Amino acid sequence: MVIDLDKCTGCGACSVACQAENNVSFREDESIKLRSIAWMSLFQLNNGSNYPDYKYAILPRPCMHCDSPHHAPCTFVCPVNATTRDENNGIVTHIYPRCIGCRYCIVACPYHARSFNWWDPKWPEPMESMLSPDVSTRMRGVVEKCTFCHHRLLKARSKAYVDGTDPDKAIYTPACADACPAKAIVFGNLRDPHSEAGKLSKDPNAFQLLKKLGTEPKVYYISTQDWIKKLSDNAVTQKS
Amino acid sequence: MCEGGCAIQVRLVNGNRAILIEGNPANPLTEGGICALGASGLQFLYAPYRISKPMKQTKSRGDMSGLQPISWDDAMAELGKKLGKMRADGKSHEIAGIISNRPSSMAELWLQFFTAYGSPNLFRMPSALDGLKLSAQLTTGKSSPFAFAFGNAEYILSFGSNLFGAAGATGLVSPALRQGNHGGKRSVTLVQVESRCSMTASKAERFLAIAPGTEAALAMAIAHLMVRNGHYDEDFVKNNVFGFEDWTDASGKKHQGFKSLVSSAAYSPEEVAKATGLQATQIDQVAKEFAARQNAIAIWGVGQPDNANGAYNHLAFAALNVLKGNLKPGGLVSLAPALPLAGLPPVSKDQAGGSPEQMRLDLVKSGPAPFRQYGLYEFLDSIRTGSKYPIEMLLVHEANPSYSIPENKLFQQALGKVPTLVSFSSFMDETTARADLILPDHTALERYDDVAGIPLAPFSYYAVSAPILKPLLDTKHTGEVLMTLAKGIGGPISASMPWKSYEEYLKFRVEGLAQLRKGAVADKPNVSIVELSGGEAVQPNFSNAAELWKKLKAGFCWYDAPAPISGFETASGKLELACQSIAANGASLADDKLYLPHFQLMNPSGNEEQFPLLLVAYKPSFTAIGYHPTPPFMNKLIPESVLLGEDVFVELHPQTAARLEFSQGERVFLKTTLGEAAVRVNICSAARPEVVYLPKGLGHSAYDRYIQSKGTNANSLMEVQLDPVSSMGTVWACRAQLRRV
Repeated sequence: MVIDLDKCTGCGACSVACQAENNVSFREDESIKLRSIAWMSLFQLNNGSNYPDYKYAILPRPCMHCDSPHHAPCTFVCPVNATTRDENNGIVTHIYPRCIGCRYCIVACPYHARSFNWWDPKWPEPMESMLSPDVSTRMRGVVEKCTFCHHRLLKARSKAYVDGTDPDKAIYTPACADACPAKAIVFGNLRDPHSEAGKLSKDPNAFQLLKKLGTEPKVYYISTQDWIKKLSDNAVTQKS
Repeated sequence: MCEGGCAIQVRLVNGNRAILIEGNPANPLTEGGICALGASGLQFLYAPYRISKPMKQTKSRGDMSGLQPISWDDAMAELGKKLGKMRADGKSHEIAGIISNRPSSMAELWLQFFTAYGSPNLFRMPSALDGLKLSAQLTTGKSSPFAFAFGNAEYILSFGSNLFGAAGATGLVSPALRQGNHGGKRSVTLVQVESRCSMTASKAERFLAIAPGTEAALAMAIAHLMVRNGHYDEDFVKNNVFGFEDWTDASGKKHQGFKSLVSSAAYSPEEVAKATGLQATQIDQVAKEFAARQNAIAIWGVGQPDNANGAYNHLAFAALNVLKGNLKPGGLVSLAPALPLAGLPPVSKDQAGGSPEQMRLDLVKSGPAPFRQYGLYEFLDSIRTGSKYPIEMLLVHEANPSYSIPENKLFQQALGKVPTLVSFSSFMDETTARADLILPDHTALERYDDVAGIPLAPFSYYAVSAPILKPLLDTKHTGEVLMTLAKGIGGPISASMPWKSYEEYLKFRVEGLAQLRKGAVADKPNVSIVELSGGEAVQPNFSNAAELWKKLKAGFCWYDAPAPISGFETASGKLELACQSIAANGASLADDKLYLPHFQLMNPSGNEEQFPLLLVAYKPSFTAIGYHPTPPFMNKLIPESVLLGEDVFVELHPQTAARLEFSQGERVFLKTTLGEAAVRVNICSAARPEVVYLPKGLGHSAYDRYIQSKGTNANSLMEVQLDPVSSMGTVWACRAQLRRV
């Protein structure tokens, strides 16, 4: 995935589309972000300058589906193999019934991409109608995170099988990329140098978050603003 | 759902359960993009606070236990009887209506109903477009708002436009966004003028951090430099503009022209730098660039901005486009095209019933004028203070004025004098909770509706929204309710609304589009609408109304090329910088500058000692401020720096916080001349020193616990000042005070 931060306006359509697509639950109070479940979070960045040179930007953060050899940080620590990386497509998946809620993966993830179900999700009754049958809901005690809309991949593969084309070549887009009005989110095969995602990941202005940790995140960001690129290694010099 | 009119598609399970709203990728404007509010749309369809059938208040107003469900037959009978009786008694004018400002055929239907019924008192909710319409009216004599060709602009001088923070701007701004930033070279230079370091300011190539309310001073200074250096379209001005030079009115009296006024020292960069807090060099630079750059445009009024409005401010911004020659045929500024939809049947007056021509209540004091279409505040004030005649019944449709108009207390006070409030809302919002009778409309996805143009767009655009599932509850399309009421009252009212369903009415409207055989339907990929130039021929791809209707119903949009302004309808027959129509009834105005664009700071009330700060209410991207409230999905977008639990945070500059000895997160009272609220302090350098910023869209008290009790309603604290020309309610900043709890 490649997210162009110059185009991104922080409108939040990606975050909302993700919630709607993936049956992400919500509570009356979502103001305490440590307890709020958000697969696509919007990080607020600023350049630390004084008025009027102050600038801020929004950085949408899905799961990075880290590509580090053998294990992502989270898959390495899971004691029950509830979370593993599918080496055919690179997606880091999470099997909810296997998860024992130890939250070790949450500790391990340097991007804070994972959320825990501290409570059983409860929807206002009429809104139960809007739950998608394609995505399991979760119960309290399990961890959840962005799946790169894995269910859409499975659908695309099934369709390819029915159509008689190669399922391994099936393509799809996740809900966030579809929704973005600025077309800032591009999704595709990073290993294909001809795909848009593959090309953009090689853009001179492309960077990854916390690259020095060696997580090899599959989400790249593009920015022409140096102050944003400098924040990518999260040198903590100010209180958040 | 809003005036943005974005094209959507909805995923259904078993044909009757909606699970996802997505943008429609086939639409050439949005290409599948959607905003956060649109993506949350199902949370309104399936809202637990939806009204499931008509209701009647059996106890006192606002007592939720007194709201009892009644049948549609009973509701229609009660309303119909009351309307019939008032008309028969010659009191039609005592019915008033407040409706949405969204461009749709529903607005025309309401107007038809009110005209046939015999009441002039129909008002639309305030909109940023009002100022664009007003300034266009004053300068061109036409009744369409200005339109901006974003797709062709290379230098955008934006006076406070909230390009990247507001819903409704998405459809127009996304193509401009998608163009930008390939390989680091931006194809569009954006210059943002506002007081706060907003998202738009952060993205702009140049940010002019200006003192609130002084945007028009900057516009005048830029015009001053353009005129002084001869860097304006002299040919265009000489041949097409009235009032640039000194002028003589119809009675032979001489008046100062714009050139003379703007050339005064008061509008020099040095003087304006003082008023605005900018550097004279910054003003020089922007003036030079604006004048030199090809395809440079001055824009304002986009996306629910917070800058000062009012006629003279709007005229100052418009003057820049006039000087630049942007109003030439094919130029970057034109007028919103009139959609050739079928006009509604003329209303015949009948002898029995209906009252003799009564003046609209807001015009009783000021007298009528074509540019006085924005008198909602005057109207409410007239009811509150008592005027020529009372208002017996107020009808509210697709609007929530009790919450969402700035100075909402005025609405609540006026409501105290109105015996009957009828709401057509689908939701138990703040206004509807006070209603005496509720006739709930279908929600957007359950009804026929249309998008009658995209605000600010120079091209013509029309789209139909067909229902995607059967109504979930016992609701009725308000358009059809009006048609039924009309039949019940009978006479010419019934004849003026001859349709049996809203679908039939829309089909009738579309016949007008089809008849002219202009424009085309975007039913193939790679149609470019935004880059169409004025007068470009668009080949129709439909042969009759039925075929056009079929394509529209399938979700495709109709469009046509922009139309150049065809002649000006002012007294002089030219584009007027000296707006003669401001002098109503031909009497000369006291001061020559009152005809011209000029800067006049609207002085907010309250003394500076008691209220040393300025409060600006801003529209962030993560709340909704119109008819729909901020839904639960969007609650997750609100950062901790803005809302924590029930507490909203105001932005305050570190310097100001230090002076007031406030620390981060401190609990304080925010007080203006309108009221007081408990808030917390967020120390942030995005804020201009001595200015307090409060986000809009919070502080609801209705709906349900997912929406209520979060922060405070900025509208309850913001002061509205009336524009002296049009009586439009202008909101920009007000005097404020912060003190420790």
